Amino acid sequence: MRRRPNYLAGVAAVAWLIIVALPLYVMLAATVQSKGDYAKGSPLSWPEHFTFENYSGAFDEGFGQFFVNTLIVTVAVVGIVVVLVPPLAYAVVRSRSRVASGVFRLFLLGLAIPAQAVIVPMFYLISEAGLYDNLIGVILPTAAFCLPISTLILSGAMRDIGHELFEAMAVDGASPRRMFLQLVLPLSKGGISTIVVFSALQAWNGFLFPLVLTQSDSTKVITLGLYNFQTEHGINVPGTLAAVFMSMVPILLVYLFARRALVQGLMGVGGK
Amino acid sequence: MRTRTRFSRMLVGGVTLGMALSLSACGDNGGSGSSDGKIHVLVYGDATNKVEKAVVAEFNKTSKVKAVLDTIPGATYQQKLQTIINTPQAPDVFYNWGAGSIQPFVKAGLLMPLDDFIKDDPKLKSAFLPSVFNAAAVDGKAYGIPMRGTQPVLLFSNDKVLKNAGTQAPKTWDELLDSVKKLKKSGVTPIALGGGDQWPTLMWFEYLYDRIAGPDVLKKAVGGDKDAWASPDSKAALNKLKELVDTGAFGTNYDSVKYTDGGSPALVARGKAGFELMGSWYYSQQQENAKEFAEKDLGYNSFPTIDGGKGDPADIVGNTNNYYSVMKKTKHPEAVAKFLKLMYSDKFIKQQLAIGNLPTTTNTEKFLDTAADPKYAHYQFDLVKKAPSFQLSWDQAYPQSASEQMHQAVQQFFNGSLDVDGFIKAMQALPTS
Amino acid sequence: MTTQLTRAAAPAKDSGRRSGRARGVRSADVGRPGFAWAVPATIFFVLFAILPLLAVAVLSFMSWGGIGDPEWVGLDNWNRVFDDPVMIKSIWLTLLLTVLGVVLQTPLSILIGVWAAGTQRNRAVISAVYFVPLLLSSTAVSVLWRALLDPNFGIPSEATWLFGDGNLFGEQSTAIGVLAFVSTWQFTPLHSLIYQGAARAIPQVLYQAAEIDGAGRVRQFFSITLPQLRNSVITSMILMVVGGLTTFETVLILTQGGPGTDTTISAYYMYQKAFKSFDFGAGAVIALLLVVAATIISLIVVRLSGYDKMRSTMEGVS
Repeated sequence: MRRRPNYLAGVAAVAWLIIVALPLYVMLAATVQSKGDYAKGSPLSWPEHFTFENYSGAFDEGFGQFFVNTLIVTVAVVGIVVVLVPPLAYAVVRSRSRVASGVFRLFLLGLAIPAQAVIVPMFYLISEAGLYDNLIGVILPTAAFCLPISTLILSGAMRDIGHELFEAMAVDGASPRRMFLQLVLPLSKGGISTIVVFSALQAWNGFLFPLVLTQSDSTKVITLGLYNFQTEHGINVPGTLAAVFMSMVPILLVYLFARRALVQGLMGVGGK
Repeated sequence: MRTRTRFSRMLVGGVTLGMALSLSACGDNGGSGSSDGKIHVLVYGDATNKVEKAVVAEFNKTSKVKAVLDTIPGATYQQKLQTIINTPQAPDVFYNWGAGSIQPFVKAGLLMPLDDFIKDDPKLKSAFLPSVFNAAAVDGKAYGIPMRGTQPVLLFSNDKVLKNAGTQAPKTWDELLDSVKKLKKSGVTPIALGGGDQWPTLMWFEYLYDRIAGPDVLKKAVGGDKDAWASPDSKAALNKLKELVDTGAFGTNYDSVKYTDGGSPALVARGKAGFELMGSWYYSQQQENAKEFAEKDLGYNSFPTIDGGKGDPADIVGNTNNYYSVMKKTKHPEAVAKFLKLMYSDKFIKQQLAIGNLPTTTNTEKFLDTAADPKYAHYQFDLVKKAPSFQLSWDQAYPQSASEQMHQAVQQFFNGSLDVDGFIKAMQALPTS
Repeated sequence: MTTQLTRAAAPAKDSGRRSGRARGVRSADVGRPGFAWAVPATIFFVLFAILPLLAVAVLSFMSWGGIGDPEWVGLDNWNRVFDDPVMIKSIWLTLLLTVLGVVLQTPLSILIGVWAAGTQRNRAVISAVYFVPLLLSSTAVSVLWRALLDPNFGIPSEATWLFGDGNLFGEQSTAIGVLAFVSTWQFTPLHSLIYQGAARAIPQVLYQAAEIDGAGRVRQFFSITLPQLRNSVITSMILMVVGGLTTFETVLILTQGGPGTDTTISAYYMYQKAFKSFDFGAGAVIALLLVVAATIISLIVVRLSGYDKMRSTMEGVS
């Protein structure tokens, strides 16, 4: 269809490619050099000797445990979101009750609540509940803050389900519960995978709640481990960047194997 | 079949949730304070941690109640400690600097006076040098056991860089200015400064004041006498310091460089700077992160003397020590008492010396030769022994609540946003209790 | 997307069939979930988001230092915060960074998104690379750039002909530039994806019709592509604005609000007040202001665009 290639956009695309790829190259190159070698050369130079000591060093710092913790948090948060949001979105989209539309407004407003705003009372609440320095104390607020946008996304997806389909089921005397299970859920697969992706990313990359609500190494998540590493060993660029790279490896793997789902998921955030 | 789909979905969701919850509940019982049958020891995260880890491992060999070492990176240590100390998950034992740093906790009734422990084991007190031990006493009661070493502030140098610039470690202020000039000419930053952390900048003030005005100014000021800051000696010290800053001795980007992440030491180790004024722990820092440099070119000297100054040239400033304090609500006081005993054990003393620290026990002297660098150990020991006055870092002498303002004031004086009078005013506004 | 079809259709379909139903019950109500379906999520949200929000409001009238108990001080915190020059500065800085973000990222994302929507194969490969920054957490991105931009050992220090003394964190202008750049680097992929998805969905019919009418490529872009992306622009902007108000990790790791207070945005100032100066009351005031600002902005954008009515961009197309 397109005849002449779009030169302007092409140039912009290549320029942006360099801006994106160069730091990634530097990161990878740095992580396989020893501290001393990196200091001698410039950040942009190709490594002379290769070593994996930075990666093993990161594990020594506890990154193995951090991975496990982050995984636990992510799975739990996604679990909570997947259990709570579909019924909510269903009610928002189909219920005639005024309460339900009021609830939707509540969640829309909730979109505007920055997590930062509530960290102080959250700290107080969580520590009084005895959940300080406990992964549950991180899971619950993180999940709560995933709810507004997940609701928005999923209700947007559910709205696309044609009324005729509901009508047809109503004609058959279906209860709301049956409609939910047989009609809504199967047709919202796209939306559900979007919110799964979104909440998983939020949980995996969450920083503020772990920062304020956890303390010891046994409950640290990757982002916090990264921050601490930088704070204490920032000058050790190869070591720090190795930690950075490791923090993205799991998501990178998911990306490689489930690219379509991931990308579709994020595209869905736009709500078409 | 249809109902089962719903059921199984709910089931899967619920099981995931349940699994995650139970995993997190039992997989991370660290940090839930003393309720997990362990004692938590919280320390400042830096190169010295390996000795502390070794002590904990030693303790765990014979104790039924195990100890767990938690660290917080130095740059955020005090802030994090303050945040968690009042939660149910506060550590049992934590690192501090004595004096002002524990005052608010004592006042809030959070700390356990250690006199009972001392009654059971008098060596907990008698094994340490009295001047050091008493720095952690508040209202006559003992609240801390010394656990690292004494940390005078010394002027460290990269001797290779100095030689290339045709200069050497200065003994007097004028020699320092001369070195700075020569270093600048040779293209390096004369003095590395971790201005981003703010407290390294404070060290310069501490020495200038001590050399020119003597230790009394600060003593009076901490005691509540605000006029001490406006005295002519105080002004003279500030003016002299300004002189040094104005020569560009610290370079231009020091406020974006930190000590705590290794930034300023790297400047010295990699030959981009000539000097750095830092506590004696600098030695173990460099040993850990730049071994070759530490072994060959790391130099150390006492701070230059200043002609006409009231302070004794043998005075030193720094941290008299670091201490372990105990929370009143710890659930295992007997285990804690046993842990604290290790602080004066011969093995621990030797381990400290091996990484360049100088413990303050009465038996340290006989182990000095086992130190990693016996010359360094002897040098420090003699320096501390002969010093007529050992001024505690200002931000530890003042209460915690004064830290932020004090740090900002010193940073602003260096970058020119505060002049001499502005600085004096800022210091006078500091709370003293 | 709701259409008017349902209401017209329902009575026609159901009138003859609902023999067993009580009169007065609208047939369209049959099979509809009651609000009970929304309850679990609502309770959870109220507990962990709304309740703390109310607590922040209460805390803003109290003085608390972390140790001991909070005590009531009325409007004292509010007065102090409004008189605080650093606070005023932080508001202005937050606005500046947010606007910078929108201005930089929107055109860039639209261009890249539309370009990537094309079906040439190399575009897919390159898009895969673009996507990578999105996989990193804000923390990881900030740590990466902190290492790359280190004043003494990073890239700028090697290229002093371009970067002066190599210290991009030493001046307000360059520090702000760094923050804006890093945010752009990290989030442009997200917005490009949104636009890419939306651009793919634009029916070719529209472009074909325009070509027949003689519209050139540029004209097509401005008259067809952009309007069709309207909903995405709204979504993207809301995300950017709320994101801008909550930028935290980048400031914490790259500049710590410095030099001095030159990049202390409101969210960071709040953290400083609460967790560094232990003045939780003042922190709460700032937090509340942030929430109010974000809410107002979101409401305005949503109202202006009619988003809550979820108008379809497909009206009149098929």
